[in-house]
Amino acid sequence: MPTLATVRLGENDSRYAPGVDPGTVPSPLDLLDLPLTRTALAELTLLAICGGLLGAFVVLRGLAFFAHAVGTATFPAVVVADATGFSATLAGLSAAAAYACGVERAGRSVRDPGDSATGLLLVAALGGGILLASDVFESGAAVDRLLFGTAIGLNGADLALSGAAAALALAATILFGRTWAAVGFDSDAAGALGLPVRRADVLLLGSVALAAVAALPAVGALLVSSLFVVPAAVARLFARDVPALLLGSVAIAACLAVLGLYLSLWLDVPPGPAVAVLGAAAYGMCALLTGLRASTRTPAAGTSW
Amino acid sequence: MTRAPAVEAHGLALGYGGEPALEGVDFEAAPGAALCVLGPNGGGKTTLFRALLGELQPLAGRVRVAGRPAYLAQTERTRLDFPVSALDVALMGSLADGRWWRPPGRSQRHAALAALGRVGLEGQASVRFGELSGGQRQRVLLARALTQDAAVLLLDEPFAGVDPASAERITAVFTELRAEGRTLLVSTHDVESARLFDLVLCLNRRQVAFGTPAQRLGREVLETTYGSDIVVLEGSGDTAVRAITVQHHEH
Ligand SMILES: Nc1ncnc2c1ncn2[C@@H]1O[C@H](COP(=O)(O)OP(=O)(O)O)[C@@H](O)[C@H]1O
Ligand SMILES: [Mg+2]
Repeated sequence: MPTLATVRLGENDSRYAPGVDPGTVPSPLDLLDLPLTRTALAELTLLAICGGLLGAFVVLRGLAFFAHAVGTATFPAVVVADATGFSATLAGLSAAAAYACGVERAGRSVRDPGDSATGLLLVAALGGGILLASDVFESGAAVDRLLFGTAIGLNGADLALSGAAAALALAATILFGRTWAAVGFDSDAAGALGLPVRRADVLLLGSVALAAVAALPAVGALLVSSLFVVPAAVARLFARDVPALLLGSVAIAACLAVLGLYLSLWLDVPPGPAVAVLGAAAYGMCALLTGLRASTRTPAAGTSW
Repeated sequence: MTRAPAVEAHGLALGYGGEPALEGVDFEAAPGAALCVLGPNGGGKTTLFRALLGELQPLAGRVRVAGRPAYLAQTERTRLDFPVSALDVALMGSLADGRWWRPPGRSQRHAALAALGRVGLEGQASVRFGELSGGQRQRVLLARALTQDAAVLLLDEPFAGVDPASAERITAVFTELRAEGRTLLVSTHDVESARLFDLVLCLNRRQVAFGTPAQRLGREVLETTYGSDIVVLEGSGDTAVRAITVQHHEH
């Protein structure tokens, strides 16, 4: 059976993984063989660290919708950048930063950044981006790469940005983890404790925005939340405290990322949807499991515990 | 020579834009005093606490609190599905020392465990906060305030919706705190519990009265404070009266 390393580059090559005949089953070890897939593996691992850590606080702070929206908000900007040769990273960063500032400025409790406003923005960003791509720039095939990511077009600069995002996420978790948790638990009380609630919120929004941009090349604008929300949501089903949530979230993100990459190369689909589908399946299974466990447990009738 | 008051307000008016929600507030509480803030729902008790916390800027006048007060909020805004244990919540009080970026140390854990012990929940330290009963949760939140080790404690309707056993325990902790010389401000709309305090401050959108319960809790003051919400059961004039309030719940 041909493997990633041995198949020749030819007319059968997949769109997402050169050197792989679509339909053949690559050995998982092949992920380590080709420089291209090694880069993709490293990229997704860094993103898993970043997404797992920040995702835990995103879920605790009720920012899941924000994390999803900030990725989508970058879409029109990266379409323009892609078509004009401008740096997609800078374009994405500007759009994400502008969106994060808007949410912050909206001045509401961050827990509720205005659902209908966010929904409107999602529709406008997607619609606008597609319109720009198809009618203005005629980007064609680039659209699905921008929306769903790619495993093969990744380079050193992408790795460097993801590395920086992962380092920032780790540092912020160490310094701000307790504060983020306290604010998520009870933001009024956190203010009374003298915690820098506003600064902590700004830092969380900013880190998520940066991390979402770092994730754009690999998982695309539409499915950023597959790494920033889904793993933490799964871990949350089991975690009894915040450290367990952080560890579980990173571990699940890493599993989803590696499996998703493998699936992407094997089935010739972009990594974003592969990770997203796996994540949704994992969440569904775990929710079912915990639901079953809870319903078989005898209710502690009449006891106050 | 008198010591500076632990809490004071002078000519204080507070509001949220529009009509002032509370005005004419003038009082002082010496260190170690226990002050009851009495008034009907909407009377301005929580508003006063928010000003004492520095969250609400006065429209007029001034407030001063010695140090950062510990605060037990009226309505529980906590999230019951949050992955924290009772001990984790009590530990949050130690964040108030201003070094929030540091992981909790051994002495902070000790303080948090001791605080849980004081509210009678040492055995529940590792129980998920959301799995505790309402009264137990209130006691854990009180433990968080105790961990803060503040000289002034602001407790907003701490007995509302709490089971009798928890209420008894909370009362016992208040007695201990007073013995330690801490200043307590406790709000309530229950007239009878107000009699146990050194001082009472009656609020109904403005300050109605301030003084000792024996001096102030007469029929006239109570009727001004509560309006039609009160039923005076016995007594008359300025002598002590028994009264119950008709509660209107906020939504
Ligand atoms: N955030 C707010 N915005 C506007 N008005 C408020 C706000 N909070 C309280 N009020 C008003 O201020 C008044 C006093 O409320 P509050 O201090 O909560 O009373 P209490 O705590 O004694 O029940 C009420 O009329 C209430 O409607
Ligand atoms: Mg109130």
